[in-house]
Amino acid sequence: MEGIKKFKVDTEKLSQKEKVLFDKLIQAAELIAPLYLQQKNTKYPGANFYPHDASKEEIEKAAEKNSIILDPYTFVERNKSGELVAIPFHVKFAKELQPISKLLEEAAKLSENKNFSIYLKKRARSLLDGSYEESEIFWLTTEVFKFGFVIGPIERYLDKLFFRKCAYQAWVGILDKERTEEAEYFKNAILTSQRKILPGSKKVDVSKLGIRVDQAAIFSGQKADFMPTGSNLPNNVNLMEKYGSNITIFKPSLDLKFNNDQFPIFETVFAEELQKTYSREELFEASLRCIVLHEISHSIIRYRDAEERLKDLFPIFDELFAYILGIKGCGSLILKGGLTPKELKAILIMHICRNFTWWLDSINNPDVYHYAKGAAIATNFFVQEKAIKIDRRIFLPEFANLCICIDNLCHFLEYHLALGSYEEAKNFINQYGSFDVLKSFLPQLKKILKKKEAN
Amino acid sequence: MLKEKKYYLTKEGLKKIKEEYKRVLELKKKKSKEGVPPVLHSEELNTEFVSFQEDLEFLKSRIETFEDILKNFELIKIPPKRERDKVYLGAQTKVELDGEIDEFTIVGTLEADPAKKKLSDESPIGKALLGHKIGDKVVMKTEMVERICKILEIRYT
Repeated sequence: MEGIKKFKVDTEKLSQKEKVLFDKLIQAAELIAPLYLQQKNTKYPGANFYPHDASKEEIEKAAEKNSIILDPYTFVERNKSGELVAIPFHVKFAKELQPISKLLEEAAKLSENKNFSIYLKKRARSLLDGSYEESEIFWLTTEVFKFGFVIGPIERYLDKLFFRKCAYQAWVGILDKERTEEAEYFKNAILTSQRKILPGSKKVDVSKLGIRVDQAAIFSGQKADFMPTGSNLPNNVNLMEKYGSNITIFKPSLDLKFNNDQFPIFETVFAEELQKTYSREELFEASLRCIVLHEISHSIIRYRDAEERLKDLFPIFDELFAYILGIKGCGSLILKGGLTPKELKAILIMHICRNFTWWLDSINNPDVYHYAKGAAIATNFFVQEKAIKIDRRIFLPEFANLCICIDNLCHFLEYHLALGSYEEAKNFINQYGSFDVLKSFLPQLKKILKKKEAN
Repeated sequence: MLKEKKYYLTKEGLKKIKEEYKRVLELKKKKSKEGVPPVLHSEELNTEFVSFQEDLEFLKSRIETFEDILKNFELIKIPPKRERDKVYLGAQTKVELDGEIDEFTIVGTLEADPAKKKLSDESPIGKALLGHKIGDKVVMKTEMVERICKILEIRYT
């Protein structure tokens, strides 16, 4: 089904009542996909959020008079006299959202966890009246639930025009306690220090950071399209500052991406000698660490005015910076004895493989362009700084240089996010954002690409 | 002759080791009382016997390790006053490292836990900082990373 991706999950340990509740959440998630598909349109940078004939300037001008035009939760349409007007999602989709809300109300009645029940009720109501913040705050401030469940208009990647409008998505999962404990430990090891900030910048201090690993059962809407391996919510920096943020790592999509993309890329792009030094398990662990580091980094540094300054370029810097900052933090962890050099090398290898994955993903899904552009910037930076040599289409990393390179790239990216202008960011992308190096590996990667297309 | 390895422990660390040693001894006693399962089951090696043996071996090895620690430990002591501006075992140290302000305690390897801000004296940071005093800038170099660490504060409690 379009806009939906399901994973096999072990529900054996759930009680009968919990199984019924779980099914209701999955049904609700399924019903979100058609709404997302109505928002999506890869032919236009503004997807279907704005009239296709409206220019960026016209929208900005209309927003000066009526700020709701650029509200994250509205469609922009033309009225009979041709003026731009905003219609809230929950009004436009009122009919479609009714059964979804009803399913959440029913699931709430089945929950034996009082707070989860309250959360579901709040979410149910928010879908109908647009009060998303209230349920989000409740979700951020209450305990870790057995079920991972998020539904509503959340991520902004579909809006390549302004990076404002939120696309519908949902996921349902079951907490993986063992993996969560491991991720929690790694998080605590990384978050022991206080980072200095660049003078003159407006940093946001995130009050608390939760982490969980979920055995996801379904991705719907934007989540199914992007197939992320992790999520860090909320996106609103003010909420993040006041109530903290929650990281979710999705074990099934990580398994899928590792088995179908990252590990085959490792076997294709790196020299055989290097391949012999790592087991599949070691690299999986590194891949998991990569995503934990990435999501944690989203919360370590957030600059209040970065989105406003960098506009549509913001997600390119934001996503890449999170990967690079996370890896940079591993340097200190090595010195503290919390990570071995071999483990850091594995993280670097998996980062490189992940860069290829994002680029391959973007070939058939232009909506992941931000990630792919970031992947190209990192790859070109490493190659230009001679931290990676390419010999007969084989990557030969020089790990010590790569660590220095990561530090340097981190400084550049942080400057753009903290203080840089739109023009400077654009120039940086022009300097490092070419896909040529990644493309030169296409002949070797065709098999992997074909398999991806078939899936 | 090989020098025996010294284990540096805090009072709390020693207490934990003693408690864990006692617990493992009791576990072994309990396991031994259970009785050995038959070696063969339907002419094949009994898996219960194998797992019994493995458990027992594991417990024996844990007991040996604890006995070695209890024989060769040394309690971490606060250094004399004149030396308290230097990093020794037990020092709560505040540093500037890689653009970040970090605080941690230098402990013996047995108690090291970077997630709880307890760093081993054998970790690259531990090794590099030992003996240095407040204000020192210490270069730390490993196979992969090189960083300069400035010591800002040292406390002993």
